[in-house]
Amino acid sequence: MSNTLTKIRMFTIADFKEEEQWLREMHRMGWKLFSMSPPCIFQFERCEPEDVVYQLDFRNRRDGDGSSYRQIFRDCGWEYVDSCLSFHYFRKPVTEMEGEEEIFSDNTSRAELLGRIWKCRMMPIFVIFFGCLLPQIHSSISGEVPLDAFFVLFCVLFFLYFRLIIHVGVKFYRMRRSLE
Amino acid sequence: MEEHIKKVYVPMTETGFYILYCLQEPMHGYNIVQRVLELTDGEIRISPGTMYGSLSKMERDGIIAFVREEEKRKIYRITELGRQVLELEIRRIRRLYRTVEGIGLQEEPAAGIELRCAQP
Repeated sequence: MSNTLTKIRMFTIADFKEEEQWLREMHRMGWKLFSMSPPCIFQFERCEPEDVVYQLDFRNRRDGDGSSYRQIFRDCGWEYVDSCLSFHYFRKPVTEMEGEEEIFSDNTSRAELLGRIWKCRMMPIFVIFFGCLLPQIHSSISGEVPLDAFFVLFCVLFFLYFRLIIHVGVKFYRMRRSLE
Repeated sequence: MEEHIKKVYVPMTETGFYILYCLQEPMHGYNIVQRVLELTDGEIRISPGTMYGSLSKMERDGIIAFVREEEKRKIYRITELGRQVLELEIRRIRRLYRTVEGIGLQEEPAAGIELRCAQP
């Protein structure tokens, strides 16, 4: 039986809480995360089943790669697992916790996490959507450029981006509301 | 003091206050976590993500300053501006305390007792 397992699973930037929960369940079933590669490839290795809390932080390269950053988590008992597209994965066994523990202990810092993700990852999506897709579709519909296979492709992309923006937007709004 | 600093730090979050208060002596993040646990009898445990973010922000705003690094741990200390912010906060918290204890601004304990009796 293989000792590693590769899973491809898509989580949007607004679904990191679900991602943490899923990683916790995988660990409970005896699979611990050891590597995470873009866009959504998770690699697990076999381990003793254990209840381990997973938490994600989001920081850009400049401060997220610093060793002092990882050291403070290590000091607090959080093991660093891997980083992927500015998301940093940490875990801590429930048996080593004093009550319930998270990597953020107040709502101000939880809201700042949402702010960082929104600014770094949602802004580019808006730029592509309003700067490329919308003008492209508009000029196709108004007859400036011929309707061809590209038009179909842009329509598909438009639909996917539209759904993504709605999903992420609604979720971020709800998460922010819950912190107020 | 700049308006920006006043807006962000007065009043301060509980986490922010304890960090700034502890940094009157040079300390690194984990030192502060442990010190705050002692000071609050285990009630406030500052998590690493919150600690790292607060220290970075405070350093950027110039209310604390990086002193040196020891075994990958960055040691910080409060700055003069930080002391002014802390002083404002302590004054504000003292006022709150006097209000809830009913002592009044003139610090007259007798009047305070009367006030509490009058409003059961």
